[in-house]
Formats: sequence, C-alpha cells, structure tokens
Amino acid sequence: MATDDDILTGPVPGPDDEPSAAERAHARTFADLIDKTLAGRTPPAMSTDDRALIEVATVIRAASGGMELPASRQRSIVEDALRQAVGGVTSSGSLATTPITSARRRRWAPWAVAGASTLVAAAAVLAMWLRAPKPPAPADGERTPTAWRSRPSDPLVGEITRAHVDEASARIDVIFADRLEGFRQVRLHRRGGRP
Amino acid sequence: MKRWIGAWSLVIAMIVGWIACTSSGSDPVRVSPPQPDDVIDQELMIALAQAKNFHHKAKVYMSDGKPLDAIASVRQILSLRFPANAPEADDVRLDARALLAKYLLAQNQVDEAMRTVEEGLAQTSRQSFFVANLHTVKGEIHEARADQAVRDGEKPRADAERHAAIDAYDRSIQINKVLQERLMMERQ
Repeated sequence: MATDDDILTGPVPGPDDEPSAAERAHARTFADLIDKTLAGRTPPAMSTDDRALIEVATVIRAASGGMELPASRQRSIVEDALRQAVGGVTSSGSLATTPITSARRRRWAPWAVAGASTLVAAAAVLAMWLRAPKPPAPADGERTPTAWRSRPSDPLVGEITRAHVDEASARIDVIFADRLEGFRQVRLHRRGGRP
Repeated sequence: MKRWIGAWSLVIAMIVGWIACTSSGSDPVRVSPPQPDDVIDQELMIALAQAKNFHHKAKVYMSDGKPLDAIASVRQILSLRFPANAPEADDVRLDARALLAKYLLAQNQVDEAMRTVEEGLAQTSRQSFFVANLHTVKGEIHEARADQAVRDGEKPRADAERHAAIDAYDRSIQINKVLQERLMMERQ
C-alpha cells in the first residue's frame, strides 16, 4: 500500500501519466481535510506533511481575499477598537490590544514633538531677528552726511588764482582723496559698521 | 495623522536651518539702504581715479617735453563717463578744459584753445570756481589774441581783444566773489 512517504519521496510522475489509485486515495483524503478545516472542524491529529499542506492552502485562500471573519468576531474587534479610542477597557484582553496608557502616550508623543519643534523654531527666529544688525539709517537727502554725497568741489579747492590755473593735477588729487574717504564711510556703514 | 505631524516637524526644521544659514554671524548681513543718486558710488570713484591718472600722465608728458601727448591725455578726461548729475563731473571737466586751453595756447593753437573754453562755458549748469577759472583762461586767450593783433599791426582788433580779456577777468572775479560770500555764509 502506498503511503505519504511514497508520494512525497517517490519518483515524480510524468504530466501525462494516469494518476495511480494511491494518488487518487491521497487526494480524496486531503480534500476531506481541507473541507473540515474550512468548516472549522480541523482534526486534532494529522501527519506533519498534511498539516504543512493545509497551512499552505489556508494562506493561499486568505491571500485570494475570499476569507471573511465571522460576524461575531468582526463586531468584537470593532468594539474593542472604539473602546480603546475613547479610553475605555477592551473586552477581549488579547495581547494584540494596546494598553490604554501606552496608547495615550502614542497619541501625545507626535504632538509633543511637533509642538516642541515649533517652539524651538519660534525661539530661533526670534533670536535671529534680535541679533540681526540694525539696518543703516536711510540715506535720504536730508539725513545723509555731507561727506557721503556727491557734491560740488568748490569748498574743497577754493578760488583758483591765475598762478594756479595749470595745477589741475593737484586739485583732482584733493577731490579724489576727499571723495574716497566719503566712499569708504558709505561702504563701512552699509556693512553695519564692521570693517 | 502621524505622517502629517512628521512632515510638519520636517518643514519646521528646514525653515530653522535656512534661517540659520542665511543669518550666519560670520558673514555680516548686507542691508542695502535706499540709494539716492547723490551718494558717492563706485562709478564716481572710478571716473575720478581715471581723471586723476590722465592728469598725472599729462604732467609727466609736459615735464618730458611732449606737449602734444599731454594734450591728448587731457582730452581723454573730457570723454570720461561720470554718474548722471554728479557735480564733480562738471568740476573735473571744466578744470580739464582750462588746462587743455592753456596747453593749446602754449602751442599757439589760439582758436582751438578758445573753442575749448567756449564749449566748456556753454555746458555749465551752475556757477563754480572752475567756471571762474575758465573765464580767467578765456581772458588769457583774448590777451594772446591782442598781442597777435599788435604784431599784425591791427590796433582796433587788439583793443577789442583787450576789452574782451578785461570782461572775461571781470566775469571771473564776479563769480569768485559771489561764491566766496556764499561759502562764508555757509560756514557761519
């Protein structure tokens, strides 16, 4: 008589070979097992190979989406979830249920992190704003120092006498030095007074 | 919900990082104040530096006995680009014209010297010591013309040139007087 070991360890039959009587008997027995399992009447004892094959068959059936929980089980799970959401005690008491304290902690933790980071950001923005150098006074026509402005050179060179008409080189030196000083002051001021 | 909170924290962290990078203490914040046209800027300084260099070149050429090169150098000052409405531009150009006219006069290019002065006076927008100086040079040119008229035996023309020279000197004196009084008033 063929046993499970013969089927599993024997030579692999060809695709067109007729199934043997032993194979048919084994297939029928395994189909009965599957039916009992789906009906919730799984035999308490079976061979290791049959248990492995049934587990595979169960996984395949669950993956195909055809398996549904019984209505009572569905209600129980939903009620547990709702009780947990409002801080109540779960009825099932299974290990998969999150304890109330840790659930509360899980709800508060992200908000605490977000709030703390917002506070840090606000403090950083405030610190940057307070530390930023004050912008220089607007250089409008009234408040700009005279030395910073482009202006006539008359007060600088004074009257040009006939004897000094051809000393334009000396005059441009004086004008350039004066305006360079003003230009440096403007640049220095725009950098917040730092060289 | 947790994903939204995580994203919010990430956005906050990025904003803080960006602010920290843009507000680094080692790099001073450069705030550009409103810039009116009359503030000394780089363009003005460049033009003044170039004018200064051309004057120095002309001085060297003159001391080296090359008046034509000196004239060419001073002419280049007239074509420098200054910021619009910069009073220094008028002053520098008028001074360059006065010197150029003197150099031309020394080269006996009297008419060219007078044209240089007249063009400068025609372009003036305000009275200044540089305008007065240009009138003084104009008087010298009239004097040179008067001397030439005497040498040519044309006494009436010589007299007219002398009168023109006196007018030019008077104009220069008048401008100088007004400006000196104004400066005195401002200093008080």
